[in-house]
Amino acid sequence: MLKVAIVGCGKIADDHAEQIQRIAGCEMVGACDRELLMAKQFAQRFPVKKAYHDLGEMLSDAKPDVVHITTPPQSHFSLAKTCLEAGSHVYVEKPFTLYEEDARKLLAFADARGLKVTAGHDDQFRHSARVVRKLIQEGYLGGPPVHMESYFCYELGRGGFAGALLNDKNYWVRKLPGGLLHNIISHGIARIAEHFTSDAPTVIAHGFISPFLRSTGETELVDELRVILSEERGTTAYFTFSSQMRPSLHQFRVYGSKNGLVMDQDQETVIKLRGQRSVSYVEKFVPPVQMAKQDLSNAATNVRRFLKRDFHMKAGMKFLIESFYRSIVEDQPVPIPYREIILTAHIMDQIFTQLKSRPETELIASSFETALR
Amino acid sequence: MNSFLNTGNFIVRPDECILITGAAGFIGCRVVNSLLKLGYRNLRCLTRPSSKIARLEEVLAAHEDTSRVRVITGNLLSADDCPQAVRGAVVVYHLAAGRGEKSFPDAFMNSVITTRNLLDACVAEGKIRRFVNMSSFAVYKNNGNPRRGLLDESAPVEDHPELRYNSYCFAKAEQDKLVAEYGRRFKIPYVMMRPGWVYGPGNPGIHGRVGIGTFGIFLHLGGGNTMPLSYVDNCADAMALAGLKENVDGEVFNVVDDNLPSSRKFLRLYKRNVKNFKSVYLPHALTYCLCRFWEWYCKWSMGQLPAAYNRRMWHANWKSTRYSNAKLKSRLGWKPAISTGEGLRRHFESCRAGETHA
Repeated sequence: MLKVAIVGCGKIADDHAEQIQRIAGCEMVGACDRELLMAKQFAQRFPVKKAYHDLGEMLSDAKPDVVHITTPPQSHFSLAKTCLEAGSHVYVEKPFTLYEEDARKLLAFADARGLKVTAGHDDQFRHSARVVRKLIQEGYLGGPPVHMESYFCYELGRGGFAGALLNDKNYWVRKLPGGLLHNIISHGIARIAEHFTSDAPTVIAHGFISPFLRSTGETELVDELRVILSEERGTTAYFTFSSQMRPSLHQFRVYGSKNGLVMDQDQETVIKLRGQRSVSYVEKFVPPVQMAKQDLSNAATNVRRFLKRDFHMKAGMKFLIESFYRSIVEDQPVPIPYREIILTAHIMDQIFTQLKSRPETELIASSFETALR
Repeated sequence: MNSFLNTGNFIVRPDECILITGAAGFIGCRVVNSLLKLGYRNLRCLTRPSSKIARLEEVLAAHEDTSRVRVITGNLLSADDCPQAVRGAVVVYHLAAGRGEKSFPDAFMNSVITTRNLLDACVAEGKIRRFVNMSSFAVYKNNGNPRRGLLDESAPVEDHPELRYNSYCFAKAEQDKLVAEYGRRFKIPYVMMRPGWVYGPGNPGIHGRVGIGTFGIFLHLGGGNTMPLSYVDNCADAMALAGLKENVDGEVFNVVDDNLPSSRKFLRLYKRNVKNFKSVYLPHALTYCLCRFWEWYCKWSMGQLPAAYNRRMWHANWKSTRYSNAKLKSRLGWKPAISTGEGLRRHFESCRAGETHA
């Protein structure tokens, strides 16, 4: 029985616990939070053996095989290192660390101790993401991707996370090097990183504060981001984060030399885009019918998965956790190659460095320009 | 003499300091109003840095001599802010809470951790004569109560609030436990106030006890059930008295008004006075079966759907139940200043004006 523990009993820890419960062969031996009451409420709601407020005590007392780190990102590096020192494998929620350098150090540290680490890029393991990965591996694109478009948007409402973020100037997300972007864009960036072979692609980032956010008096949070990425072999990508565009997409489009694919995370669908054109007017009548057929097929697949009890909102997280545990128990490769984790951190570092190098006035000007257009 | 006040001695002099947390909130600003009406002027109104205080400012503007009323901002999650807020206060009205939080940890943090911080500050201050804790009907376990049975202050509270799968219920039940524990361990004199549905200008038009809107259809679930309504001004009056009256330490008070309407009547009046829409009535037996099925399905599917609907929830919200305000009247000398008819008129008027929608 794999012994699992959780550090940080906030909102995302609930998602972890719900998925861990669904996995056979593991038990939650401890939950730790700096605030003991938080750890206790967590243990009250999930089958956790004991609540702790001291990580050292939990590691020595419960001796977990795996520790899930679900605290705010500022503490990921030090907590993960402590867990690795105690001999536990580590699952670190996204964003993996604050900086690429920390990511490299942590992964090297784990390697040196023969321990495994994964990052919480669970959206990479949703049903639709797995279908896309399989199709690419089978050669559907006709070779490596030529171009990718990753959309990862976030609707800023007034309640919950967004409410706390907008209303509380001391909210922990604001203190991240990349602010709001830092806490959200990992999933969308990881999708691109998976298909890049270069360790240092060119990154050109443009970010600004949306007119909406500006109208609320916000002067710090960048909530609109456009990024162009390219690597030596010719693969390019666009990344878009927006709090304002509708629909608020979570989409990945990948085009090869032969065909393309569109994955929609919200609808959990995959659409195949054929590269070959039909002759004359046939192109105007047949492809729409073929698209409709694909839409119906996607809907039927989703219904089938739902009826088979395999369509949970966090299905990707369960798959990632299960794969990670299997890699530990059976000593197999980790589900997310370390290269991908580092490259994701590298791209994010590049983005935030570029945004920081632009003075605030330029960000404001950008937002007004956008509003006027 | 004010209309909601009958008799009795108070434990606080008008010049002594009173702290009200959540003072800019829907009920909080009315509690401030009630205290001002009673002649208390040394009020410390704690609001969150992000709170909109226009409503509170309106209340203060309506009274003369508010020079000793202080509106301060602070975060109850901050261990530094709590001692400052409590310093010199003899009564604490604790109304700040995490409302509308779907996430359990968020609701818990904003209700329980904040309350713990405040109670710790009260213990350190050592002068608190009364801690009035804003609880809710949501904490009551109505399972064992027979159909059309009376739910009063002696009713048991949820022993496993986590099984209701309602973050607000969970947080409030744990908050109540914590207050009672501090009462026992540190001799903090407390009173628990448990209002039903506090309605009035500024709160959503239709409560979930009446029904729920889903996929464009309003499902009427309350039927002939009595609605445990408490008009916000009446509720605030009761709260104010709970902090002042002598000999009520450790007591729990349910807060509901007189002449409570049925769910069906409320819905009919809403449609007539605010806006008309289509609704479908689901009989109680059917809603119970649906809740039971939903509960089973969530377990069977290992959480493919959230366990939001379950039998505990049905018992708490949709079982036919009677309510009483007898204890509130006899022990606090409270009586509703606003009749239910007038309260509903004002409520619907505000809904019509677009302050809130169903």
